[in-house]
Amino acid sequence: MSRAASKLAINRLLDRKPLDGAAIDRFIERHGAPIIEGSRATFLWRGHADEVSVRHRVVGLPDPLRLRHVKDTDLWYVSTDIPEGSRIEYSFEITRDDHTESFVNDPLNPKLAHGPFGASSVFAAAGYQVPDWTLHDPEARPGEVIERSIASKALRRQVGYHLYLPARFRAVVRYPLIVVHDGLDYLKYTSAKTVLDNLIHRNEIAEMVVAFVSPVGDRLVEYANHAPHARFIARELVPELTAELPLLDSPVGRTLMGSSFGGVASVSTAARYPDVFGSLLLESPSLVFTDIGQDHGGGPVFDPVVKFVNRYRARPRRIADRIYLTCGMYEPLITPNRSMETVFRQAGMEVRYVEARDGHNWENWRDRLRDGLAWLHPGDQKFVYE
Amino acid sequence: MRTVLLGPQRFLTTAGTVVRSVAPEGPVATVTAGWEDRESADGELDEVMEGRSRNLHLYGRLSDVLVSDEHFATEALAHRDAMDELAGLYSLRLQRALDSVYAVARRPARPAVAEAAFADAVRGVRDIDDWYLRTVDQLYGELEAAASPEASEPIARHRHEVAQLLGDAAALAIAGGHVGILLRCLRLFAVDPRPEVPVVAWSAGAMAMTERVVLYNDRGPQGVQGAEVWDRGTGRVRNVVAMPHARRRLRLDDAVHARVFVRRFEPAVCLLLDDGTQVEIGADGSVPEDARVLTETGAAAS
Repeated sequence: MSRAASKLAINRLLDRKPLDGAAIDRFIERHGAPIIEGSRATFLWRGHADEVSVRHRVVGLPDPLRLRHVKDTDLWYVSTDIPEGSRIEYSFEITRDDHTESFVNDPLNPKLAHGPFGASSVFAAAGYQVPDWTLHDPEARPGEVIERSIASKALRRQVGYHLYLPARFRAVVRYPLIVVHDGLDYLKYTSAKTVLDNLIHRNEIAEMVVAFVSPVGDRLVEYANHAPHARFIARELVPELTAELPLLDSPVGRTLMGSSFGGVASVSTAARYPDVFGSLLLESPSLVFTDIGQDHGGGPVFDPVVKFVNRYRARPRRIADRIYLTCGMYEPLITPNRSMETVFRQAGMEVRYVEARDGHNWENWRDRLRDGLAWLHPGDQKFVYE
Repeated sequence: MRTVLLGPQRFLTTAGTVVRSVAPEGPVATVTAGWEDRESADGELDEVMEGRSRNLHLYGRLSDVLVSDEHFATEALAHRDAMDELAGLYSLRLQRALDSVYAVARRPARPAVAEAAFADAVRGVRDIDDWYLRTVDQLYGELEAAASPEASEPIARHRHEVAQLLGDAAALAIAGGHVGILLRCLRLFAVDPRPEVPVVAWSAGAMAMTERVVLYNDRGPQGVQGAEVWDRGTGRVRNVVAMPHARRRLRLDDAVHARVFVRRFEPAVCLLLDDGTQVEIGADGSVPEDARVLTETGAAAS
């Protein structure tokens, strides 16, 4: 490769004299934004401002990541290292006349990642591809999602939830049951129904029944080691579903799943009812702890979590047979999760731990579903020889 | 007793030619139970069989039995739960034993010591396979005692109908698909052709003809995992592990895995049944000398 070709595109642009608006227009039209070149990403922004920064939650990169202004133009840029296979969600922060505007999506990048707190710009480094099993496959027979509700004494209210029944659902089969925390968000932001339809169609995961449950009150209270929530799941929801549906009636057939605080809810429910669930599927669980003192840095909402996790770490015990644990390398929770893997393993559980070059977001959790579900509840692929 | 095992028929259809050569005339009984609820979508197969196919509809019959014989259905479900539990335990034991064999195989040591350690580690895996199959036999025995197929009117009726169709057939063709379902159907309806009726079987069908059905898939979402014994087959073909799709499903470039695979199942030969393969089994149930089999280096050899 020639020296000129190995130079970043932005540097080749900056070498041009004079650099006018038309040349910048052509440059952006040609390259788009951010510009991905090998393991380098260049962010671009155009407009008048006093300061422009990229905001992200990538542990290891400076945050805010300040853009440089190209003199006598309205172009701003910054280049940074982004390893292959990475997915990064980000926004801009723009300061003008002592006023700062935050969470501004990149106007030069049409790609958005969606989550409960809105959409943010996203880009993928070389090597990342949206998995084909997350996209609608007309060949895959669709399962059914039905709305149901259950009267909960533990939570003192009627609790609505969504129930996934696989295609060809029939009474002569016994299905595993997955109970998913933040169920509506999983359905909406991870394309969970499409993923289930596709993976079942491909025989990669077992035909399964999935209960998508959402918090009924304050999520950060309900999911932070909350006895009524655990009782609702283990003593009300699971027994009712087991009585009504053809489900495997043993721990090996039951999995609790959740991400972030939903992961904490999964672990704490399993800890309170260790004989109910055989497996846990935990995606970036917020298992924050302290080794000394109480300064965990997470704010008051994390106090009950830290108390629970500290207690568990002091006396680790089996709370399931198998745990699929995954976390994004770029999120702050990577450190506690790396530690919890060992703790779970040493407590006598079989653990599969997977890190992804991604952050604390729904598309990361979507992309790990195949691996997690296929490990915990493999389909009949190994039986099929056409 | 004439038996021909074929490779997958999806991309290269040789079944028609082979069936024509072993049974030029007369009806051909077909089994497509491995296709499960697509069992009846056999128009293409019938074309290949020149319109002579008579589908035994074993999957449909199984579904009928499960609906019409409640007692048998309950016991069959309990049996499957027990099989699932057993398979879970087997998988746990097997994975650890295989990890041990792979580790031993890769550890440099004096040749005599290394070979002895390897042979002993493989013996451990074979013991687990034997334990598993013995327990499978025991579970079948329990099912038989709890809900004897002979005592079931629907099963008896279906067996009679299947036997009649087989009695009229000039050949039996068994297609691939889900080998577990296929075996269940063959066993439940006692599919046992007369010795003079040739059998042509491919993919899962070929596996079902052997004494021991071995499952493998290194290309699944979980990556390389050890092969697992699943069940006993009909035993029409002896001392063979039938391996359809071996190139697509197995990491044959990993010499250690291939070596373990071969040693684990010997004296049975690991018969490679890739696209276009056609192997006529000898009258004594053995594999001909020129058949392509897996060797300890991972290469195929005749």
